[in-house]
Amino acid sequence: MAHITINQYLQQINEAIENHEGSFCAELLSFKHPHVANPRLQLASPEEKCQQILEPPYDEMVAAHLRAFQSHKEENWALHIMFAVTLDLRIFANNAEQQLQKKGKGQPGEMLEKAAEQLMSCFRVCASDNRAGVDDSKKWGMMFLSNQLFKIYFKINKLHLCKPLIRAIDSSNLKNDYSPAQKVTYKYYVGRKAMFDSDFKTAEELLSYAFDHCHRSCQKNKRMILIYLLPVKMLLGHMPTHLLLRKYDLTQFADVTKAVSEGNLLLLNEALSKHETFFIRCGIFLILEKLKIITYRNLFKKVYLLLKTHQLPLDAFLVALRMMQVEDVDIDEVQCLLANLIYMGHIKGYISHQHQKLVVSKQNPFPPLSSVS
Amino acid sequence: MNRWTTARITQTQSSSAPSGGQRTQRNKERCRSNTQKKEVEEEGGQGFGKERKETVPRASCQTMCPAQELRERESQNRLHHFEVVPGTEAFRKPSGDPLRAVKEYSRPAAGKDAAKPSDLRLPDVLLRTVCYLIDEIVGSPSPHPWTEVYSFVFDRLRSVKQDMIIQRLSGKDCVAILERTVRFHIYASYRLCGEPLRIYDPRINDTHLQEYLSWLFDCYKTGAGPYPNQEEFQALGLLYNLGSSAATQHVLELPVRLRQTPSVKLALAISQAFLAGNPVRLLRLAQKLDFLQACALHRHLVTCRRHLLLIYSHGFSSRNCRFPLDRLARLSSLEAPLAAGLCRAYGVEVNQHNQVVFSKSAFAEPAQGRLECKLYHGIVSEKERGLAVKSIIHGCS
Repeated sequence: MAHITINQYLQQINEAIENHEGSFCAELLSFKHPHVANPRLQLASPEEKCQQILEPPYDEMVAAHLRAFQSHKEENWALHIMFAVTLDLRIFANNAEQQLQKKGKGQPGEMLEKAAEQLMSCFRVCASDNRAGVDDSKKWGMMFLSNQLFKIYFKINKLHLCKPLIRAIDSSNLKNDYSPAQKVTYKYYVGRKAMFDSDFKTAEELLSYAFDHCHRSCQKNKRMILIYLLPVKMLLGHMPTHLLLRKYDLTQFADVTKAVSEGNLLLLNEALSKHETFFIRCGIFLILEKLKIITYRNLFKKVYLLLKTHQLPLDAFLVALRMMQVEDVDIDEVQCLLANLIYMGHIKGYISHQHQKLVVSKQNPFPPLSSVS
Repeated sequence: MNRWTTARITQTQSSSAPSGGQRTQRNKERCRSNTQKKEVEEEGGQGFGKERKETVPRASCQTMCPAQELRERESQNRLHHFEVVPGTEAFRKPSGDPLRAVKEYSRPAAGKDAAKPSDLRLPDVLLRTVCYLIDEIVGSPSPHPWTEVYSFVFDRLRSVKQDMIIQRLSGKDCVAILERTVRFHIYASYRLCGEPLRIYDPRINDTHLQEYLSWLFDCYKTGAGPYPNQEEFQALGLLYNLGSSAATQHVLELPVRLRQTPSVKLALAISQAFLAGNPVRLLRLAQKLDFLQACALHRHLVTCRRHLLLIYSHGFSSRNCRFPLDRLARLSSLEAPLAAGLCRAYGVEVNQHNQVVFSKSAFAEPAQGRLECKLYHGIVSEKERGLAVKSIIHGCS
């Protein structure tokens, strides 16, 4: 629709009229329809063309329409209409999905993908608006549309499709000037994507921004951001206070937090199992599993602090693990766990197989978590 | 991506509308479909269920290869040697055997005739075709190299898939075919490991396998069931896609009763060990896999063993390091000489007393082509002993 010629457009209207296709014809005369973005329909004097192809009174009507939306070519006040319409589209697609699912028909994600295609065309129109000045540019629509598209892509689990949107916005000079609300939503989704890509430092920056700048009256949104910010911060060694967890009704994390800081693998496994459904539904179960490595590190650090020597028998670690009821673990696995922690930089030292000991550095053998990775 | 090749609903979705005449035709078709829509509504399609009445192509072909295609290929001398009457292979124009000819895959081309019913095989014929391919081609001893068997079966299965898509096959019939196809591709990914790229490309096998898996999982999700093999395939999917967050999340979101089945539980435990960077635990758990599961895991073995050597190079790095080779061999599920070979490939020193001298500065990626997975996948091949390929792919082992 964005590239048909004026003749084709008028032919379509003519046929729609002849075949009494009222709704299709209405689309062709609607401002919400993508054809308004088509530069080939911008004629200075459309009356003559219209008269050639259409019968009265339609010729006048269409000519008037063509004149009217022409004046939009360097304006963007219609963006708000687009925002409303695209939001509705996404919500309808959601409902359509649910209805289809109930009936067991159609492929999961089909409706949402179709909606996403439409939104993508709008995005492209906005992104390619190079003509208008900054105030009138349609580029202001990009972040809103990205946010809508993110919501769909996360729902249908096609996160890789977020990449081109992120790239487009990152390279735009408007990226810091969008409204606070849009920026918070944007950084929330990009932060979640970074988590998915295991880029935890970036995820922490983005999600922290989103959390700090989210209006304090939007408790629900703040809670949602926190659900993703917490695991990331914990992986970087920052444990939330109980007060924070209670304030946002996220006490599911309380046991997890306690277990990790104490190096209590038993409690961690219990906590993950107890709230498994919640964590899986939010998509953070896998990340919380990564906390196991941190928990091992904390547990082993305790062993070091207790024995007060820098040559630690491997048996001591085995005993500690058995106390935490870690199943069927033997010396081989202890060596593997320690080797992994050394490789990741959580322990400074080496294992001596001959002496069956872990020899740690005399200085700072367990570097602070925030300085590692 | 929409798997069904439906025509686009409105022209607004295509960025370039066709010119003049064709468009008129399309508008007329839209008119027609609008009136058909009215008929459906009157028949009681209510509420949101105002489905566009698309005509699903009918199938009527009762043979593995449509008669017309057999005649054409025979006259053009384009029959595969698996399809000719035995004894006529050396003839200038071998005769096609209707009991052995199988419809080949043909690229859907614009302007090509929409499938004629006589060209489309019926669902039970499709299943029969797949079973024939497994029993007579894959599972039978043959003087031809297995790479040829693979190419032939790969292509013919692709054609079966095409027929399934065109007639919108779903449900139990679809699942029975897909399950066998998935097993075949997983087996092939192990069997053809190490073959030269120009004969077998693991990436192409992978692309198709992922599509089949994804379609199979969709069937499980939207179909009425029951699907008794579902646990087997959810486990295979996870093992094949080890390390993929999407695949792991998919399994985590399965109903509890599926997640607690032995196969899925084991696959999840292996997945956990992989994500936690614990290759010792992973390889230990892998001992419990059956042959086909081991085939699915097979392509990740290189990564696992590399990770083991890497973290040990760091963890045991000291001048006096003397790690027994035998122990390393046991941990890596390899014979000692092979373990030594693997070490050497990664620059890890093994001294003359069969001790590994780990050093974090010594570890290096193997030179291109230096590491042949085939040498080291004994852990998979030993599970194959005594099993017939036929029964592996039909799933009755």
